[in-house]
Amino acid sequence: MSADAHDMPAGFDATVHAPNRLRICALLDAAGEAEFGLVQKQLGLSASVLSKHATVLMDAGYVEQRKAVRETRQRVWLRLTRAGRDAYRGHLAALREIVGPPPGPAS
Amino acid sequence: METNGGRPTPAQAHSALAEAEHIQASAAALSATPWPNWFFATLTLYIAALPIVYGGVMADEDWLLTRSTWMGIMVAITAVYVALLAVAGKAWRDKTGVALRLDVLPKRATLPLAVGLPSILVGSAFAFRATGWPGWLIAASVIGAAASVGFHLAFVRLHRASA
Repeated sequence: MSADAHDMPAGFDATVHAPNRLRICALLDAAGEAEFGLVQKQLGLSASVLSKHATVLMDAGYVEQRKAVRETRQRVWLRLTRAGRDAYRGHLAALREIVGPPPGPAS
Repeated sequence: METNGGRPTPAQAHSALAEAEHIQASAAALSATPWPNWFFATLTLYIAALPIVYGGVMADEDWLLTRSTWMGIMVAITAVYVALLAVAGKAWRDKTGVALRLDVLPKRATLPLAVGLPSILVGSAFAFRATGWPGWLIAASVIGAAASVGFHLAFVRLHRASA
């Protein structure tokens, strides 16, 4: 769940940092809950790739799924758990720390 | 964004943050999708009718209709409104693919509405009861309808701006 390297800032999360997983977390954090097909379309991912990353996030306890029937077809809705939201926001804070403070106004 | 297990460089971290912000902005556009027009009309009519009906319920003596009739009307329109809200909410979620959220608009806009609209509704009914002048109810009805139209337009603008 956490990065191996010792020099990572606090909150850096290797599970979240993988590019597609960071994008999934970003979408779910903003949307609250999103349908699998919508996540796929918004992020331009294939069903298998999204499924693979969603499984990693679910195994980490960061994402949970809900199944609902719509027009006789079963749809999967994904949402961040509280732990997932904390990990994602902590990871963003760690990335901001790595980037450093924004340049001040020119004097 | 690949770090090969090491600490990302500032450029990589910056790129990851930019990507996350971009995705959050497109998700925010979906969350700001306005209600369908039929439900916007329903909501506006309900908000406009409520002060008049509540005024009738609260009136000292029968005003236009008996109090029990006003009460019946209030229960009926509220039941219809709640049923249509459920239908519209489900249709909205199915259309957008995201959860319905109440925190899309900034608090500086929603908080005054959450406090102000009920105050106007109750206040106008009490003012009507005290003075017998129906202008209080009509004014509250117009303010409520205007607030509904204003918020709908704010969602339309927000949706277009973030899309």
